[in-house]
Amino acid sequence: MSAAAGLDLASIPERIQSEVQRAIQRSIKGVEYIASSGPSLGSTPKDILHVRGTMNLYHYRPVSDEIYRVPILIVMATTNRGYILDLVPGQSFIEFLLKRGYDVYMLDWTAPRPEEKSLRMEDYVLDFIPDCVRHVQRDSGETDVTVIGYCFGGVLSLLYGSIFAGGPMKNLICFTTPVDFREMKLFQNFSDRRYFDVDRLIDSVGNVPPEMILSSFEMLRPASRAASQVALWENIWNDEYVKSYRMFDRWATDTLPLAGEYFRTITKDLMWDNKLYNGVMSVGGRPADISKITVPILHAVAEHDHIVPYDAAKPLIEKIGSTDKEEVMLKGGHVSLVAGANAVKRLWPKLDSWLGERSI
Amino acid sequence: MADKSNDPAAMWQNMIGEMEKGFNAFANQAMASPEVSKVVNQVGGISAGAQKQLGEFMEKYLVGMNLPSRAQMVAMAERLQSIEGQLNEIKALLHQVHHNSTAPDGGPPAAPKPPRTRRPPPAGGEQK
Repeated sequence: MSAAAGLDLASIPERIQSEVQRAIQRSIKGVEYIASSGPSLGSTPKDILHVRGTMNLYHYRPVSDEIYRVPILIVMATTNRGYILDLVPGQSFIEFLLKRGYDVYMLDWTAPRPEEKSLRMEDYVLDFIPDCVRHVQRDSGETDVTVIGYCFGGVLSLLYGSIFAGGPMKNLICFTTPVDFREMKLFQNFSDRRYFDVDRLIDSVGNVPPEMILSSFEMLRPASRAASQVALWENIWNDEYVKSYRMFDRWATDTLPLAGEYFRTITKDLMWDNKLYNGVMSVGGRPADISKITVPILHAVAEHDHIVPYDAAKPLIEKIGSTDKEEVMLKGGHVSLVAGANAVKRLWPKLDSWLGERSI
Repeated sequence: MADKSNDPAAMWQNMIGEMEKGFNAFANQAMASPEVSKVVNQVGGISAGAQKQLGEFMEKYLVGMNLPSRAQMVAMAERLQSIEGQLNEIKALLHQVHHNSTAPDGGPPAAPKPPRTRRPPPAGGEQK
């Protein structure tokens, strides 16, 4: 059968007309794209509860008449902004939680200032997180707190939970959280101790510049940015596609610098010595062994995560001390797991059904 | 409906998708080699050193031209950030004070927080 036989000849004029219309729309919308700003992100009403240096603690205003007893503290990854979890109405994880009756707080980060280059892992784990937990307890009037950590926010939550194993963390939810850093193959190679002089880098730049962090993420999929721009041009006539592209592109490029000393510890203790996986991690001289964590835990991992491959995240459930533990693998990548259409359909309802009964 | 295999637009999109996957896979394989790590880190190290030296040179040049240097601008931005932070603290305090002042002594605040009595819906039940 020839190729021409598969063509519906009658549809050709229709297709040509449609393509011409799209070409015109592309030109018009292309100009609009350049001239306009993207959608407003992170607009769920909230109050700033506490600000200290690079740390911001938000409280989102409840929208239900009745809320669960246990408040939630979300610990964001230190490389990225928290608005990925609060994109726009209908695509906001925060909005979803509020509507389902949770009391939500978020520990979000701003760029550390040059003088904050000396912030260490212990500042994050032994000071910032406990400080926020205390504020959440005071504001909510509850002792128990559910902690949700995204990506490296999950690592910080694990370190916090293992050091403060006696409470007040009541439940722990981790999204795509690495534990076995050997399995982050490309990051391992970028930070190969034979060639990567982390001391020299930190001593010369202070804080790790965001461009360096962004390019290390982009190097994991070097063709994807160009391909996504081609796809944007093809779909620029489609307002929904453009809106979604702008939201995710803005977030992905809005990378934060990392405090120098903190990065030094991540490189040496986690990337080089894999101390968390080996059970020998300590923070500020205090042992941080995840087998000490016994609270209920849900770990959500993505099937196609190129930043935290499944093999790096898998040992979390094996190694944690909890008996009430569950791993859920969902379709999608590192970001689409928590935000976007897939998350709305898959992760969020799963999380709600798991957490609801543990929040009373 | 036109056959997808003969649709030029679909073929083009498919081709782009395949090229992206192929290039990413090839690049990942290449970047997994120690040689790439060595080169990337050498270039990165040189660039960080050069950046530092250039920064120091520019600093001296701008002082000579009686212009604010980057460090001074950063310091100013820090002070602004600090002022913003303090304003936020004041705002939070005012919010708290207002919240308390509208409440009768020892009584519940004017805009009470919702009660923490919610329970999960029964299995198969509908969410409010």
